[in-house]
Amino acid sequence: MPDFPTSRPVLAGKSARHGKGITLEALPEGHVLQVMGATTSADLRALLDSAGLTGSALRPAGYRQWYAVGDTPLDAQALQAIVTALPPGTYLSDQSHGRVRIRLSGTRATELLSKGTAVDLHDSAFSVGHTATTLFGHISVHLSRTGETEFELTVLRSFAEALYSELEELAA
Amino acid sequence: MASLITCPHCGQRPKEEFTIKGDASLTRPAPDAGPDVWYDYVYLRSNPKGLHKEYWHHSSGCRRWLIVERDTVTHKVHSVTDAALTKLGGAA
Repeated sequence: MPDFPTSRPVLAGKSARHGKGITLEALPEGHVLQVMGATTSADLRALLDSAGLTGSALRPAGYRQWYAVGDTPLDAQALQAIVTALPPGTYLSDQSHGRVRIRLSGTRATELLSKGTAVDLHDSAFSVGHTATTLFGHISVHLSRTGETEFELTVLRSFAEALYSELEELAA
Repeated sequence: MASLITCPHCGQRPKEEFTIKGDASLTRPAPDAGPDVWYDYVYLRSNPKGLHKEYWHHSSGCRRWLIVERDTVTHKVHSVTDAALTKLGGAA
């Protein structure tokens, strides 16, 4: 028995759920980088690409705020390279251990999400690539539409289990 | 109460996502303005029926401070602007 608990994915105990029209799964705890400051999505995209993070998604999270997310963990060196490349007045906070991503997909995904959030999820208002920082019940989440019937929820790590259980409950 | 607020950054959201701070039309008095003026500024508020101009924080959204003008009689929201950007003279 080690003196200190070892780091493990917070949703490791939760199995992916495949229900009627709903698939719910925890995504690998790769990297979640929060960027704030006077820059643009295009500039940040170029910066991530030049840092070799072509597979990472860049998601707006409000006025001058973004999340850069991906499935692969970043080492300190890779992170430092991005921080160094940031333009002046732009700041990065590594949230890789602070936030967890959950994927929700299926034909009933929007129906399920509508039970918890007030954001209009109709195709005409929230098309693929759209993001929103909002509440799901009482839990703050960052919601992104990654596909026609596919969504990703980024949530604070300590709320991840509660949110996952809630989604499981609602998917039933 | 107005239940839908159109955040200039996030679009239409329910009031549950916001935290209301209070009157946005107050002006902070000079440090040597005297106790009466300061007492008034810190503690005394009128509660008019009708138009209110308040600071709202989009605490569960973009986390920006907004200025919301709303009517407590008709529940109509007249305007929502970003507080910092408005102060700086830029549009939200």
